[in-house]
Amino acid sequence: MYWEDIELGLRSDLGSYTFTEDEMIRFSRMWDPQPFHIDPEAAKSSFYGGIIASGWHVAAVWMKLMIAHGRKRAAEGIVSRGGVSPGFREMRWHQPTRPGMTLHYDSTTHEKVELKSRPEMGLIRSFNRGLDDAGKPVMSFIGQGFVQRRPK
Amino acid sequence: MSDLIHYEDLPVGTVIDCGARHVSREEIIAFAEEFDPQPHHLDDAAANASMLKGLSASGWHTCAIMMKLMAENLAVKSASMGSPGIEEMRWMRPVRPGDTISLKGTVLSARVSKSRPEMGLVEIDWNISSEREQVASMRAIGLYGVRHPGKTR
Repeated sequence: MYWEDIELGLRSDLGSYTFTEDEMIRFSRMWDPQPFHIDPEAAKSSFYGGIIASGWHVAAVWMKLMIAHGRKRAAEGIVSRGGVSPGFREMRWHQPTRPGMTLHYDSTTHEKVELKSRPEMGLIRSFNRGLDDAGKPVMSFIGQGFVQRRPK
Repeated sequence: MSDLIHYEDLPVGTVIDCGARHVSREEIIAFAEEFDPQPHHLDDAAANASMLKGLSASGWHTCAIMMKLMAENLAVKSASMGSPGIEEMRWMRPVRPGDTISLKGTVLSARVSKSRPEMGLVEIDWNISSEREQVASMRAIGLYGVRHPGKTR
């Protein structure tokens, strides 16, 4: 799939992921060792009232599910010609992710940008979310990815 | 609690040095295997043929390294109350095996929450660099406890 072939407004369901307390603590001990992420006792008396997942863990799982989704599509013959990103915007952690919560992730294409400096590439912006069981947002951000243009 | 860094200690222009961390090849591959298993983060031959021209860390790994440095050198020494989000993260240059990544922040704006006078919102511009060059930048709001609620703007 070249940049030209990508349709705007297309929502991809990336699947669900359940955050266990053990896994949340393991991630945060390594990458985000703040008391409300790693210490159940200290977390109780914190602002959050209990252990919550690192926002970066919640975001990294979006990436994990996005790659798995891309592989499934590739197996169906739809190969993405992208993968490198210049960054993201407007990451929001709307509510804490607590032990046992299942998040439902999706990604919706919403903008295509031509690149004057790289005519062989285009940029795709997408709106990405993780929702709780009630459909309320837990995390959202605007992602960006370079995708190859169709050779002329 | 007053020995912790509070909102009042982070006025506009404050520079925060969060130290540095070495990034090994093993760590780049292990992080990518778990969260971002794309060939340019896992395999030399595929990485050399990619737009990044060599093995590089997942951008989310760069975020995790940044967070670790910030947590260990600022958050646990402060009355941090977490963050509602990130305005912008720019992955500017690849992070390579063997790089030492350093983190420095500059306070851009600071205000006390109108609805919660015990909480301050501090916007910081973070510079994430290797020994060679800046590899990423991040603009984000952090929430910090106010030492004297009601007396501070």
